[in-house]
This record gives sequence, structure tokens and C-alpha cells, in this order.
Amino acid sequence: MSTKVAIIASNGGLFDAYKVFNIATAAAATEAEVAIFFTFEGLNLIHKQAHHELPLPAGREPIAEGFKNANIPGIPQLVEMARELGVKMIGCQMTMDVMNLKKEEFIDGIEVGGAVTFLDFAKDANVSLTF
Amino acid sequence: MSNIKVDQTLDCKGLACPMPIVRTKKAMDQLEPGQVIEVQATDKGSLADIQGWAKNTGHHYLGTLEENEVLKHYLRKSEPGETREPKKYPHTVTNDELKSKMEGGSKLNILDVREPAEYAFSRIPGAVSVPFGELENRLGEWNKDDELYVVCRTGTRSDLACQLLADKGFKNVKNVEPGMSGWTGATEQNQ
Repeated sequence: MSTKVAIIASNGGLFDAYKVFNIATAAAATEAEVAIFFTFEGLNLIHKQAHHELPLPAGREPIAEGFKNANIPGIPQLVEMARELGVKMIGCQMTMDVMNLKKEEFIDGIEVGGAVTFLDFAKDANVSLTF
Repeated sequence: MSNIKVDQTLDCKGLACPMPIVRTKKAMDQLEPGQVIEVQATDKGSLADIQGWAKNTGHHYLGTLEENEVLKHYLRKSEPGETREPKKYPHTVTNDELKSKMEGGSKLNILDVREPAEYAFSRIPGAVSVPFGELENRLGEWNKDDELYVVCRTGTRSDLACQLLADKGFKNVKNVEPGMSGWTGATEQNQ
């Protein structure tokens, strides 16, 4: 049976997005089964507009140039790659209700579910991560 | 060492983690089992990543060369269930038996039927490279009575090679088991 990687993404900054999607795509490319549960500010990472303009932490704006110089792929590119590699992306229904967000406002191909949807995947995961 | 024959070359130069791994996976999906890929990368982390990737996916990491700041990783796509294939050729010697014969000073004909890239990085000293795909066209290099020791990585390809040699009338052929994956004797590589 293949390795299962379960990730919770609960923060919405650019650094958070890289942590989540780098691990997710690397794991999926290594033939792991990967699911990410996006909750609270983590929903930004899969929001149609927001994921194109994720903020750097206050005061760290100069690092934007570092990303460019090191030829780091953009978040939209990593999201696309994650989708292509079959990473399961689950938006948290409760947070969406609280923030009054509809499924249509998120990128295509996501699922929407509650905590149990994630727990059901994570219960026999080999690796569980929270960002 | 710079001219290793490969089936595909993948350019990941200038790409950062996790792109070299993602590209390698996609390229590997298109290859046939047994084929060898050269992955060119400038990401220093790819040296450890590629090895970890191979370990987890079951593909065979052969080695890495560095040329002008470019890392060239060599990988061979494994067969599904490569190590479990039933053996059919009955005449075998173990790695240890072969090693003792060599230490006894015997001059042996050792045929290494792996791909050239595998042979280039680590082989038994004095072994002749005869990639399995070329074997049939090179039968004239040995006499039918010669004692031939055939080696690959796990004993599977060499088993097939032994069967082919036996079919062609070679009477004194031995499959070396398990082969290079368990070889503890001396090795040499291209300089």
C-alpha cells in the first residue's frame, strides 16, 4: 500500500502556501496519496483570486525578489501541479459558511467537507502535517 | 564517463524544489521498464531528493555526475515485481562462489548484461559490458565451450541472458546470483 500524507493548511500567507504545496507535490510525485484540508485562512491558498496574491509576512517583502532569483515556481503553478498529480484538496465547509464563501469561488476540482472527511483520510495516514 | 548511453535526457536546470522531482516522475511514467534516464539539475538539493525518490518509488538510482555545476542523475525504471520474477535457468553460482574463484586467481569471462550507465558506475573488475539488448548480436565474441559468468543487478536479466546463451548452444553458462545488488567484492568504474 502506498504512503499516505495528510496535511492541514490553516494559514493564508505566501510562506504557508509554499510549505503546503511543496510537500504535497513532492509527496504526490513520489507516489504517495495526498490530501490537504484547507481551513480558516488556509482557504486563501485555493481561493480563485486570493491564491494569486498571497501576502508575505509583514516586513519580509524584500524576500519576493529572492523567490524570483531562485526561480521558484509561483503558487498557481504549484496548485495546478498538485491537481495534476492527483492531490485531494478539501475545503472546510464550516469555515466557508462562517466567511460566507461559496464553492464556486474556489479553484476547480476541490471537494468540500467537514472535519470527518479529513479524519477519515488521515486516520491511517503515514505522515500528518499541520501548517 | 561523460558519454553514458541513456534512453532519455531530462533538462531540469534552473528549476527549484520540488520541480526536478515532479518532472522526473512525469518523464519516468513515459519510459518502458529497463530504460535509463539522465536528469540534469542545478538544484543542489536534488542530489538527496532523487535518491530518496528512487528509494520510495522502487526505481533504481545509478549515480550522479557533476559537470560544470550541473548535476546529472542517472535512474533506471524498474519492472513491476522485478525482484520476484521466477527464475528458470538452472545453473547458478552465488556472488560468494564467484568471488572465491576470482580470489583464487582464475581468469574468468564475466558478462555484465546491465545497461551501460549501470556498468559505468560500478562493476566487477574485468567484467565485459554486454547490455542484454545487444547480446544476441555479439555471440561471436565467445566460444561455445567457454565458461561464461553472467551478471546483472538482481539476477533476473542475467537469467534471461543465460537462457538465450543456452539456446544458442553455449554449454558452460552460469547465472551469478543475486548479482551486483549484493556484490561485496572489489568493483571498478569509469574514470
